[in-house]
Amino acid sequence: MADITVFTARRGRTMEASMPTAEAVAVRDGHIVEVGTLENMAPWIDGYDHEIDDTFRDHVIMPGFIDPHLHPSMAAVLLPMEFTTVVEWDLPWSEIGAVGGRVELLDRLIELDAELEPEAPLFAWGHHPIWHGEVDRETLNNISATRPVIVWHRGYHSLIVNDACYRWMDIDLEAARRHPHIDVDRGAFFETGLGVAYRHMNSFLLGTERFRAGLDRMRQVIHHGGQTTIGDAAMGMYGFEEEWEHLKAVMERPDTPFRIQLMPAEMGPVGDEQSDEAMIERILAYPQRNTHRLRFSDHVKMFADGGFFAELLMLKAPGHLDGRHGEWMTPPERFEQVARAFWNAGLKIHVHCTGDLGVEMALSTLEKLQWERPRFNHRFTFEHFGISSAQQVARMAEVGALASVNAYYVYELSRAFADHTLGYERASQMSRLGSLERAGIRFAVHSDFTMAPAKPLNNAWVAANRLNESGEVMCSNERASLDAAIKAITCNAAYVLGLEDEIGSLRWGKRADFTILEADPYDVGAEGLRDIPIWGTVFEGEKFPI
Amino acid sequence: MISSVEPVPITVLGGYLGAGKTTLVNRLLSGDHGRRLAVLVNDFGEVNIDVDLITSHDGETISLQNGCVCCSIADALGESLDRVLALDPAPDQIVIEASGVADPAKVAAYGYGWPGCRLDAVIVLADAETIQVRAKDQFVGELVTRQLRGANLVLVTKSDLVSPEVLDSVLSWAHDVAEVPVLPVTRGEVEPEVVLAMSRSDLDVGSARVATRDAPPLTDADAMFETATLRFPGPLARSRLEAALTLWSQDVVRVKGIVWFAEADGGNAEPHVVQRVGLRWSIEPATTEVSLEAGGGRLVVVVRRGALEAAALISDLVEA
Repeated sequence: MADITVFTARRGRTMEASMPTAEAVAVRDGHIVEVGTLENMAPWIDGYDHEIDDTFRDHVIMPGFIDPHLHPSMAAVLLPMEFTTVVEWDLPWSEIGAVGGRVELLDRLIELDAELEPEAPLFAWGHHPIWHGEVDRETLNNISATRPVIVWHRGYHSLIVNDACYRWMDIDLEAARRHPHIDVDRGAFFETGLGVAYRHMNSFLLGTERFRAGLDRMRQVIHHGGQTTIGDAAMGMYGFEEEWEHLKAVMERPDTPFRIQLMPAEMGPVGDEQSDEAMIERILAYPQRNTHRLRFSDHVKMFADGGFFAELLMLKAPGHLDGRHGEWMTPPERFEQVARAFWNAGLKIHVHCTGDLGVEMALSTLEKLQWERPRFNHRFTFEHFGISSAQQVARMAEVGALASVNAYYVYELSRAFADHTLGYERASQMSRLGSLERAGIRFAVHSDFTMAPAKPLNNAWVAANRLNESGEVMCSNERASLDAAIKAITCNAAYVLGLEDEIGSLRWGKRADFTILEADPYDVGAEGLRDIPIWGTVFEGEKFPI
Repeated sequence: MISSVEPVPITVLGGYLGAGKTTLVNRLLSGDHGRRLAVLVNDFGEVNIDVDLITSHDGETISLQNGCVCCSIADALGESLDRVLALDPAPDQIVIEASGVADPAKVAAYGYGWPGCRLDAVIVLADAETIQVRAKDQFVGELVTRQLRGANLVLVTKSDLVSPEVLDSVLSWAHDVAEVPVLPVTRGEVEPEVVLAMSRSDLDVGSARVATRDAPPLTDADAMFETATLRFPGPLARSRLEAALTLWSQDVVRVKGIVWFAEADGGNAEPHVVQRVGLRWSIEPATTEVSLEAGGGRLVVVVRRGALEAAALISDLVEA
């Protein structure tokens, strides 16, 4: 094999302002040695044993796409299930149509019942009452009297089961009847009642074989979206050591064309740790475990308020449309203490924030920490960033915050939240990207898969167009520019993960990670981003066609 | 003998950070109260257990010499419940220390539906010095208020750290918000008896020799609360007991015990379990064998110190 491989292309889109386009990229040992023209690369080409690879002569080489925030373990639980959401899913093993209403959902369940092995439980994920209305035990008994059928909420907020599932779970129905969050007649488990359901299902859902099969599907999904680096933004949700073993077994393989940057989910000292210092010592030791593709660094994940799909965001006045309450995931005072410990230890803090009160809590904490002990280059990142105000964005800019935004909320939820949850003004301005761009705040867009499809081009498309599933443009002033949307899945996503010197653009010294497209996004424009076909990827110099 | 089907009472301790939950948990774990408590905490970090008292520590469970265990919830309350319910012998009572941002009324749901459990009470602690400020805080004001509203009993801690005038205003404010009994406690020290539910060991009283209406001596002169055992030689009138349980003031913090009713009230063949926490009370047929003499009964009452005479309570129930 040659020392140097030179990939030539119709165009290289470098995402480097000094030289935005190129015609060739020279690679040695998985790293780029030079980007530019074949002519200018002569000293390399003449000096080393080399080959010219023109596989991409009709294609565009982009820096490998980066999704800085998704959840492989959550996906491993979900991907073996059937998807029945109000939006379509293009998964590597099948294209799944949108399930738009109640009748469509029931039809789909009947189809799935006919397809599955007789004994297998039917787990259908994606139910949301806003679209699908109420589904109950009797409805599901009509789907099957013998097969356990489980209909799972889009935001994991509740599940509905049939009688066969009660038998499969071997649940004590008399006890369940007394539970305020289980409606035995409707077959519904919600809030704390979910714990009772999981108790009977976890051995199945988290069984090693099923879980690893789910993780393997996740591997395919990540490649299919053109990603060469992802961030696992809450390592340890189902048990740290178990997840670590599963990840090593499934992901750390020569045919895995991406790396995973692991961010431990931290709420404070755990187990026997008697102090914040002990917690920090543990976190700082994680990188000693690193393998080639699985890597910890000095980034940690914290949580402010509850889930966006689950409508548990904490809001400033006037609150939720129907007067319901959100949830804090960490007590604000404890959040501040733990964040201070991380801040003073020099760690990079990422905070899950969904509502404007969640943003306010994280932002006022950051302001306080900056006042106490100013830091540059701290990478404090607001994750998800569902509801916020322009005034909060201005303050974020003042204290050097970053954002990693779930732009896709706009596509799936803006109309429904306008009608049912928040009213139009706030709902139309969810995931405000235009304000971030105008304030000069660097931002990534992420999928939080399975909250959004793990398709960076699709997420960039939502960011730059703000079209929702009903075909409306929601707050055109909060659209990201085409350039910002593409940076949000390449160089700025690398920046959010602290990897900008290693990935995110085509430049000497960086990893030879490419996403190979059939067209240049800058030629196609914002409207066409999500329709650009992906040839495949190059990971550390090796080609991985889709 | 007590059969093993009696559900284990779950008591939820709620309240925002700093309300004194951990202090109370520490007291429960190290106390000489004769109960085998299983205390579920969010993390061990703040629990301060004398190492001499620890008999084993397996990572998620600490076992103590007095028969109590302390378990870390670690995000999976259901699993922790199963773990302590599987202990042999089963614990007398499970105390769940709710997270500072949890809605304790929601956590209490586990007491209704988790196999092998029943809800005893939701007790919410509030810090006399800070509760009113927190109730107005932009981030947690709504939550703190909701926590109080979910309580069966509110204990205002650190009440010795504020002036009597401030304490009065806090108590009356908390009562308006929570609409349940609100009681002050000092130094964050809540007597375990306030938290302890009716348990298997209460049912298994061994000998039933006593048959007296004499008020026994009250306990511990320094304590904020006093405990008395009311004993009845014969059956009670059910209507009279129900009226007393409804009308007794909030100074009667807890009532728990076994009684028989007069024949007119359904015969005296079946013993009944009586429980009252705050204003919430229940009378239910005992589901397990009770080793008290049929026809007699007894109630343990926990009252605010100095507020009531045991004899006065007895006279509410039976003719002098």
